[in-house]
Amino acid sequence: MSAVRERNSSAWLLPPRPGVDHGLRKDMRRFEDQDEVDIAIVGCGAGGSTMLQRLARAGWTAVGFDAGPFWDPERDWVSDEAGSHHLYWTEPRVIDGTDPVPLGSNNSGRGVGGSMVHFAGYTPRFHPSDFHTFTADGVGADWPIGYSDLRSFYEDIEEELPVAGEAWPWGDPHKYTYRPHPVSGNGEIFLRGAFASGITAKVGPVAIANGRFGNRPHCIYRGFCLQGCKVNAKASPLITHIPDALAHGAEVRADSMVTRIGFDERTGKATGVHYVRAGVERFQRARIVAVAGYSIETPRLLLNSANARFPEGMCNDFDQVGRYLMVQGAPQTAGRFAAEVRMYKAPPPEVSTEQFYETDPSKPYKRGFSIQTVSPLPITWAEHVMAQGHWGAELRRYMSDYPHWACLGALCEFLPLAENRVSLSEEKDRHGLPVAKFSYSQCENDQQLLKAAQSVMERILTAAGAEETMTVKRYAHLVGGARMAADEHHGVVDSSCRSFAIPNLYITDGSVLPTQGSANPALTIMALAARTAAILVKGD
Amino acid sequence: MSLPLSPRDGGERYPGFSSVDESDHWDRATQGAVLVRLGLPPDIRFFTAREEAVARALFDQLLDQHSDPRVPVVNMVDSRLAEAETDGWRYADLPEDGQAWRETLAALDQDATERHGQGFPEVTLDQQASLLRAVQDLGYAKWHGMTAARVWSLWTRYACTAFYSHPWAWDEIGFPGPAYPRGYKNLGLDRLEPFEVRDARPAQDPAANAGGDG
Repeated sequence: MSAVRERNSSAWLLPPRPGVDHGLRKDMRRFEDQDEVDIAIVGCGAGGSTMLQRLARAGWTAVGFDAGPFWDPERDWVSDEAGSHHLYWTEPRVIDGTDPVPLGSNNSGRGVGGSMVHFAGYTPRFHPSDFHTFTADGVGADWPIGYSDLRSFYEDIEEELPVAGEAWPWGDPHKYTYRPHPVSGNGEIFLRGAFASGITAKVGPVAIANGRFGNRPHCIYRGFCLQGCKVNAKASPLITHIPDALAHGAEVRADSMVTRIGFDERTGKATGVHYVRAGVERFQRARIVAVAGYSIETPRLLLNSANARFPEGMCNDFDQVGRYLMVQGAPQTAGRFAAEVRMYKAPPPEVSTEQFYETDPSKPYKRGFSIQTVSPLPITWAEHVMAQGHWGAELRRYMSDYPHWACLGALCEFLPLAENRVSLSEEKDRHGLPVAKFSYSQCENDQQLLKAAQSVMERILTAAGAEETMTVKRYAHLVGGARMAADEHHGVVDSSCRSFAIPNLYITDGSVLPTQGSANPALTIMALAARTAAILVKGD
Repeated sequence: MSLPLSPRDGGERYPGFSSVDESDHWDRATQGAVLVRLGLPPDIRFFTAREEAVARALFDQLLDQHSDPRVPVVNMVDSRLAEAETDGWRYADLPEDGQAWRETLAALDQDATERHGQGFPEVTLDQQASLLRAVQDLGYAKWHGMTAARVWSLWTRYACTAFYSHPWAWDEIGFPGPAYPRGYKNLGLDRLEPFEVRDARPAQDPAANAGGDG
């Protein structure tokens, strides 16, 4: 454990009780706008916070900007579904295409910690096959890096979050430092159904320490992971990377919306970031700029940073910005049991299987899906029931049966398609900036995966003894939109996440992913950011 | 306090269960956010009087609330719209949520008037239900120039978020609500906490007994 603490002491810097260390924040170093800091990072989520921590530790002067607040979990977060609305990015956005993807609570965070504040907590690695799907299967894209380039960063981040789970047999087989958590009724159902139907399922991997970690306490199994963990048990960068960053002289500038990237046409370099704080437009000078605003806001910022050199948007000489944006098909199938499952108890992320992750040559589709426990709370569960067409008395009747239902969710590897993209809408936000329009349509492979995943979930639940099942179609996660590629005709950044067009502009968030596998993306986003930080430190 | 719901429709399955009885175990921030929902409902600020009447009838139908006490869903939705507390996205073929609410309520009222000669709040409950079923059955076809399924999604999302944020609704479904800082200690099938109440009618599987209105 001491090796982790030497690399990242965040868990030991937090107070030994719920809440956060106000001392670190009060004494936080503050830079002047006219100081040329080594790096200005846009967004303090998974990618941005990891960069901030790594670079501050290496002695860089670094400022992390976030449009949202610097959360105090005790004061700002509640153990309640409707009361957690402010955790999501709820500025206006437009969704379009044949299969429009709802945003907001589903996949978009704001504030320091980003969407990991309200992510479920699953932290699987990508499989080695994810990095060359085009060569192997003729679908998706090949990454300019391979799994082996990321492995050591996966190991580091897994220790820092930390991750608990059983020894993992899929992809590159590996183990976790922390033992798997006990499971609730929902997890029991999955394990029982998987066993009965000959499917291997495992407990984990989740970014919730099983036991005390530094000053972070043990999980209390209250089931509100998606509403922000007040306990400090579930990982988010707010507690896993920001404390160590502050202790090493980084500044977090919250409530500061970056509106445009500064650019010098003479040198061809980025000069810093324009931002709005408390209604005042300001400019922070920086030697390097890293954008980590996630798959909607990162492309939007690049497009809104158009100038004489980049009339179609920064880094967009080859019309790549905003394209190949992906979501995972995430149908949820629920089963009704005579026993009381009470799926709201314990964290929603408990048990998963990656047995169907890889391409199965006997199937008509390429690539695959994973299946995990999900445990909708009442409002989300009511949407599940309403999606079956029930309302009025029938809705109330179904809802009164809530304790008897178990629920599984799939993550289907939808393919990256050029037309699935962010562009700018005519509509403007309160800063006067065009809002993002996100257009999404599925391809045939996507639809085949959805059907296959649903039938496996029905098989598991039925084998566990479900009397009835019902499925709701939905989406999860966002990646892509400014992808990594071998050259500027096929992507926005190179293998080190440096933009092809501007030598001191980096993108260090989920938008650089060329494919998504059927893994939850948070761990991979952090590992990629840690790798980019290591490259920057080495080259400095 | 329990909401009026007949045993046939799922009422009285968790006898004596009250989430609010446990509110001493909730943290202060959560108490503040949840207990305010039991107080005087916020005044109507967004809807016009006519919109309020149509919305009230719509929510009573969607949530089967036909007698008092009711969860004040119309006030809760109005409050969200007055504060522009949207979900952070809108469909390209619908206006922003506030305007979409105004237009869809007017369209619903217009449907009632054209079919029955009276507005939506004035027609019978059965007539209201069949007007709503007609919108629901359109699926992805257009309704007053809007994709019906997306209008349905707008109505039901706001309705469910309001209704199932209310402790009285939690009592009806056996959900204890906030769970911090106490947490849960009895995980697993049929393992209850001392403050949870076992379902008195576990065989009342709604999927097996589907029927009735709605």
